[in-house]
Amino acid sequence: MKTNIKVLGPGCPKCKTTYNNVLDAIKQTGIDAEVQKIEDIETMMQYNVLTTPVLMINEVAVVKGRVADINEIKQLLMQ
Amino acid sequence: METQNLVKEICPTTTQKWVKEGALLVDVREKEEVDLLAFDVPNIVNIPLSEFEDHFQELPKNQQMVMVCKSGGRSLRAAGFLINHGYNPTLVVNMHHGIVRWVQKGFPVKGNTASIIINEQATGCCDTIIDATQGDNGCCNNNNSTNNNCC
Repeated sequence: MKTNIKVLGPGCPKCKTTYNNVLDAIKQTGIDAEVQKIEDIETMMQYNVLTTPVLMINEVAVVKGRVADINEIKQLLMQ
Repeated sequence: METQNLVKEICPTTTQKWVKEGALLVDVREKEEVDLLAFDVPNIVNIPLSEFEDHFQELPKNQQMVMVCKSGGRSLRAAGFLINHGYNPTLVVNMHHGIVRWVQKGFPVKGNTASIIINEQATGCCDTIIDATQGDNGCCNNNNSTNNNCC
């Protein structure tokens, strides 16, 4: 099954770094994933986002308010 | 300005009206920011956004509350969070443009306003130049402005 990944944030540098780290982690692990970058404030509020960036994997917020590095994301994807 | 329909947003002038009616200001900036510059209003509480998830339940559910921060982004998310957790959307609003615009409008603060970067001309909330004598009138120099139709 395809893994659904969302990076939520207003477009700040930390959010962009997280998004790029996600893309790198997917490349390195070779998993089948769909990545969405969500910058829309209304959608973010639907997810009850307070601190950004937020990394969601299959609708679960796994990292909140900080940049997740590539190795951490790889580990999260392999779980 | 970010577009959303979940949270009602009001300008600093309307916030002043709410404050006079007894509303609670909820400042979600971090403590270091508040130490430098704080809103000088009678009813205010500081719950940093980084601690908000753990402490939001300390906020009353039956009182008017205006969420505030530096520029209105963090407080908007906090207001949405409260509404998603059962707070009344008619009682919880966000002050857009935050303490930056509050200072530009000449409203009371404690601390050093130099800590806020103000490099743009003070404008009203409809991009009109502020009339310092505007007082309690509407935020668009419109005497008929109400809490419900703030620009």
